[in-house]
Amino acid sequence: MFGKKNMQSLPVKSKEEMPYTKVGLSFKAWREKFGGRHKWRTIRWAVLLGINGLFILSFALDLSMLEGSLSGSRLIGFYLMDPFNTLQQLIISFYTGHWVHLTMNFVIGAGTIFVFYFLMGGRTFCSWICPYHFLAEWGEKLHNYLVKKKKIEEHTYNQSLRYVFWVGFLLLAFFTQNIVFEDLNPVGILSRAMIYGPGLILLWILLLITFEIVYSKRFWCRYVCPVGATYSMVGQLSPLAVKFDLDKCAHCLDCQNVCLVPHELWFVERGKATSQRHDVGADCTRCGLCIDVCPGHALNYTIKGFDRIL
Amino acid sequence: MAKQELNRRQFLKSGAIAVGAMVAVGAGVGYLQKVTTEQRINQKFLRPPGAIEEKTFIYACIKCGLCIQICPVHAIKFAGIKEGLAYGTPYIDARSQACDLSCDSIQCVETCPTAALYFVPFKNAGEKAIEKYDKTHAADPNYNPFPVQIKAMKRQVKMGLAKVNEETCLAVQGKGFKGIPRGTTFKGINRSPYGNAPKATPLRDKQYDEKICDVCVKECPMGEEALVLDKQNRADGSVAYSPKVLDGCVGCGVCVMVCPTEEPSIIVEPVKA
Repeated sequence: MFGKKNMQSLPVKSKEEMPYTKVGLSFKAWREKFGGRHKWRTIRWAVLLGINGLFILSFALDLSMLEGSLSGSRLIGFYLMDPFNTLQQLIISFYTGHWVHLTMNFVIGAGTIFVFYFLMGGRTFCSWICPYHFLAEWGEKLHNYLVKKKKIEEHTYNQSLRYVFWVGFLLLAFFTQNIVFEDLNPVGILSRAMIYGPGLILLWILLLITFEIVYSKRFWCRYVCPVGATYSMVGQLSPLAVKFDLDKCAHCLDCQNVCLVPHELWFVERGKATSQRHDVGADCTRCGLCIDVCPGHALNYTIKGFDRIL
Repeated sequence: MAKQELNRRQFLKSGAIAVGAMVAVGAGVGYLQKVTTEQRINQKFLRPPGAIEEKTFIYACIKCGLCIQICPVHAIKFAGIKEGLAYGTPYIDARSQACDLSCDSIQCVETCPTAALYFVPFKNAGEKAIEKYDKTHAADPNYNPFPVQIKAMKRQVKMGLAKVNEETCLAVQGKGFKGIPRGTTFKGINRSPYGNAPKATPLRDKQYDEKICDVCVKECPMGEEALVLDKQNRADGSVAYSPKVLDGCVGCGVCVMVCPTEEPSIIVEPVKA
């Protein structure tokens, strides 16, 4: 996002410099041979289901491992707090004076989450933990299929819409004296439904996912969710990122097609990259789909600064 | 340039829709909040121990469910969507399982990270009780301040106040009660008279044989400071009985749970803030 306008793009690669010619394959054969692995997706889904399963088991079997839900929990007695809830809570309670009663556990929980996601890359939460993301991933598959069959049209909006909603929900919390967003938050709703049993509120989730399937791809995650927006602010300067290597890229754009936030992968298009190496920005959820799909291994996880020392 | 202009327009348009949507949500929330808060107070919506006043509770509670998980008798439940904005907040349905105050330290209050269930008074109450106790029992080597602290903390719980319905109460009618108060299929449990017994007896395993029904008085966790069976001699020589609620009642709802009549003859009215 930063500095992309004023920088000079690098010259376009010649055909001989493309990675598929280096291994003596045609573009199509190279793509079929090396692309489309599912290593990171398998790991990610295992972590996602494992953590949500631990929530469920902790309550069902009284394990006391990971109590609470995704809006606030205790990991073996250690508190963790949802950052957007924390923000709403602070805004209201500073106004009403309730903040003096907030416990040290609240501060510890919010602080831990902030530090952890600052290090782990902000929106890592979205793809590695959020249960709605898991649901929406399947919705996205169905949506893509329907678009391919020309049953529906694709609708895209500006990504900055998230910040309009972010400010809006904070203002709404302030004016109504209520953490309004928690009533609409699919993360909390799904988490609670899984742990404490389903309720009628799941109709809201159904409405969201249906809208995403038939109208706009990943609408909630891309354009609305203030939880994701908060995490992306937290992870703005995070060391854990996905790095891009221009030498190995053949500009097939497979990564952009699978990406939740394709605007962050602007440099993979032919003639757009301004340096040999780019790090994907703060909106990236570090889901690893692009890493799996990239035939030339041009994208990979990195710890900024650390890999240069090694 | 034209593309940028198009982008800007599109953003402004969708932004305007977003703002409109949020204003609509805000108006809806404001309305629901007003209606449902009054409704809840009128409907005897019983909050867990230490719950702060309803208007503050609704934003202080982040709906994490930690209090639900920590409750040893599973008295606390999630409110459904019909409670409007209280969706996901904890409440106690005293008739199916009351809070029996049998836990060590009113853990639900202790575990609440956002002070929707307020911790400080409990802690202070307990510490003050220890200070007092220390002075009088300083010489006693075997003294254990813990029960005193717990008792002092429990006195601070003010979920509501019990109220007897004299039309249906068996004791008021001079009737006795024999058998199991809530039938053999009832799952509720009251551990408090037995302290923290490792295995508490469910209510369905308890037999009663009372000449004058006083099940609620026997099961009351606060004992004689909260609920007694009041006897008064009538002019004709007979005795009139009635359960009398005293100042020590904390509104835990155990009496509501154990009441043998079909509709509970004693109810808990939540404290109105």
